[in-house]
Amino acid sequence: MKSEPNFSLTRRSLLTGAASAALLPIVGMPKAAFAEGDVIKIGFLAPLTGPVAAWGKPGLDGCQIWADWTNEAGGVEIGGKPYKIELVSYDDEDDAGKARTGATQLIRENEVKFIMMLGGNSWPGVEEIAARQGMMVSTLLPSDLTPDTTTLIAPCEVHPIYNVTGVEWLAANRPELKTAVICAQDDALGKPSVATYLAAFEAAGIKMASEPLFFDPATTDFAPVMTQLLANNPDILCLDTCYADYVQPLCEQAFQQGYKGQIISCTLDFYQRIVDRTSKEFMEGVIFQFPDFDDKALNDPRINFKKPNEYYAEYVKRYGATQWSAVSWEYASILDLWADAANRAGSAEPEDTLKAMKEGGKGKHAFGDARWWGKELFGIDNALVGDWPVVVIRDGKATIAEFRSIPDWWDKNGELLVKHMTALGQMWNQRT
Amino acid sequence: MPEKTTIGGAGLIGIAVLAAIIIVAPYFVTFSQRELMVLLAINVLVVASYRLQTLTGEWSLAHLVMMGAGAYGSALYAKSFGAPVPVAMIGGAITAGVVAAVLSFPLFRMKGFYFLIGSFAAGEILRLIWKRFTDPFGGPKGIQRIPGFPDINIGPLHIDFFNPINYYYLVLLVVLVSLWILYRIERSRIGLTFHAIHWQDKLSESVGVDAFRYRMLAFVIASFFAGLAGALYAHNLSTVNPNQFDVNAMVYVLIWTIVGGTSRWYGPILGVVTLTIIDEVILRGIGADQIRPALYGLILILAILFLPDGLESLVIKAKDALRGRSSSKTSVPAEALDGSRD
Repeated sequence: MKSEPNFSLTRRSLLTGAASAALLPIVGMPKAAFAEGDVIKIGFLAPLTGPVAAWGKPGLDGCQIWADWTNEAGGVEIGGKPYKIELVSYDDEDDAGKARTGATQLIRENEVKFIMMLGGNSWPGVEEIAARQGMMVSTLLPSDLTPDTTTLIAPCEVHPIYNVTGVEWLAANRPELKTAVICAQDDALGKPSVATYLAAFEAAGIKMASEPLFFDPATTDFAPVMTQLLANNPDILCLDTCYADYVQPLCEQAFQQGYKGQIISCTLDFYQRIVDRTSKEFMEGVIFQFPDFDDKALNDPRINFKKPNEYYAEYVKRYGATQWSAVSWEYASILDLWADAANRAGSAEPEDTLKAMKEGGKGKHAFGDARWWGKELFGIDNALVGDWPVVVIRDGKATIAEFRSIPDWWDKNGELLVKHMTALGQMWNQRT
Repeated sequence: MPEKTTIGGAGLIGIAVLAAIIIVAPYFVTFSQRELMVLLAINVLVVASYRLQTLTGEWSLAHLVMMGAGAYGSALYAKSFGAPVPVAMIGGAITAGVVAAVLSFPLFRMKGFYFLIGSFAAGEILRLIWKRFTDPFGGPKGIQRIPGFPDINIGPLHIDFFNPINYYYLVLLVVLVSLWILYRIERSRIGLTFHAIHWQDKLSESVGVDAFRYRMLAFVIASFFAGLAGALYAHNLSTVNPNQFDVNAMVYVLIWTIVGGTSRWYGPILGVVTLTIIDEVILRGIGADQIRPALYGLILILAILFLPDGLESLVIKAKDALRGRSSSKTSVPAEALDGSRD
């Protein structure tokens, strides 16, 4: 007699099933193909977790909106043919080793045509792979640029050079402010930014009340940092390019220690939380460099970023207003540049796209027409600079006060910037 | 029951299978997983050397900084002084050992929790030195464009070590030799003395063992191999910076070691291999990139709850089960014999 098959769920079969399910993505499974049309893949290699995730994750969210809108509109036309855009992301955790693994995956397995990075700590892990594979890579930190990094571009954020616009605007609008103090985390992001602010203050005739205060990136208690900064009773408190996790406690400490003067900062990510934890009155007039994209000033015809107000509304709808950060629009604006270049080149190949992007030495930056620049500072003209907005908190809301020209400031004060960059060892030929 | 010191037939077969897997594995994984295998092999050396340090009962928070000392040392010898990379690597490892020897004098005046905190402080001082002194350490951005391991060109043979498969085999060779040395040290009289100091330091001292000297020896040896791992790491990535060796990264070394277990030499290796595969392959593979920290944390909690003696306890149980089965097989005739007597 044949025995009945036993289908009872044993612990072993359950574990085997669970393990198989977990391993399925590794060993491979049939992938859902796009129903129609050709696809171009774009790589997103930035920190999505960890302390620097605030400058990666909101950017990926923004890119998703850009990709959805582009695909809904029929894709990007290249060589007379429409292509859908697919984003492929890899969390590099701001680590060179993980970035190298991620770049390998994106280039050799996902076959992306372009990679967007935050840059900084992670870029050195990618540099040689990008060079060998001829992969075009973008960074938000142009301090990664050197004469050897020919496929690396900084087409959106020329950090920290745009900080000069905030100081210049401040000096023009509040000439009574004469002294400043500055603090920054002691790292590759903080130092060049300090050099830029020092140059901008010097150009504006603002004296430093004390030497720049560099604190350890592991700092969690900002009370002594703020006490030391305020000891010299400065007119201006400059928070440099501190990470979001530092700007918030620094502002809170300034509030709690009774500071009444002017605050200027490169970023003020998630500023609503800071307003909530301090007060509207305290934050009134704080200057930084990154606008909310619901600002009507962005509807000016010279702005190249497409539909900024609608983009902001969609971002808020999908992710919430509190998730908007400095990078929410930046990677998307880089995609605009890439799509335009690929369209003009008639090819998505990195070499062709890069050539088209830099054609004529000019490009369409998010905030207006700009020029490819950087040889004096980075050893290569791979940074796109033009106008940059000065943003002021008014009644608890970020508002664009004015657009100012970075090249104009550079033409007048370039020597000062080189002097301070050199003093802090930040020129490209000083980097080890 | 003392651990068995000889390897049986099953053990030899197991080792042969394992060797075959780690040798052919690069050809069965993706390009990016090859890169991951290089980092994994380096981390195996980090945790294995860390275990040697823990044999004396002292858990250090400076182990990754010692890896950094090796990485910085090797990078500087190769880049600034033009030393051949293999020589620079050995120099880096020796530098880490020397740094550990110097740090031993203040650190081993402390024990237990105080040593742990002291080692953290010592590590942070070293990291601050790397940050503060831009010349020669490159400051916060560290050292970049470190020369890679030189290509080998002998007749038709061309080996490019930028290729992760080739570098993996180089790392594998170094790691296997290192593991063998670490294993032999643990099995030697010195290793037994480390254990004795861990469990009965006063008693050991009463019979003439110089506990300070042996703790220092363990620290120096562990740091030497951590430094060697750092050198392999630096010449693979072409960059080192102080953040790569901070306390956050050190927490991972502790997690790998604790989850793997420390009573057997293979415990931490099991930990680093398993957790790396879970974190970097499975969780990324299922598209859980952004929630990996939460899932990873959950897995750790589960591991600690259900495997308090580490992953190595599974191996020990499996071995006991196998032994039990084979002994029960051999005992059957005896029982039958007993029965026949009845």
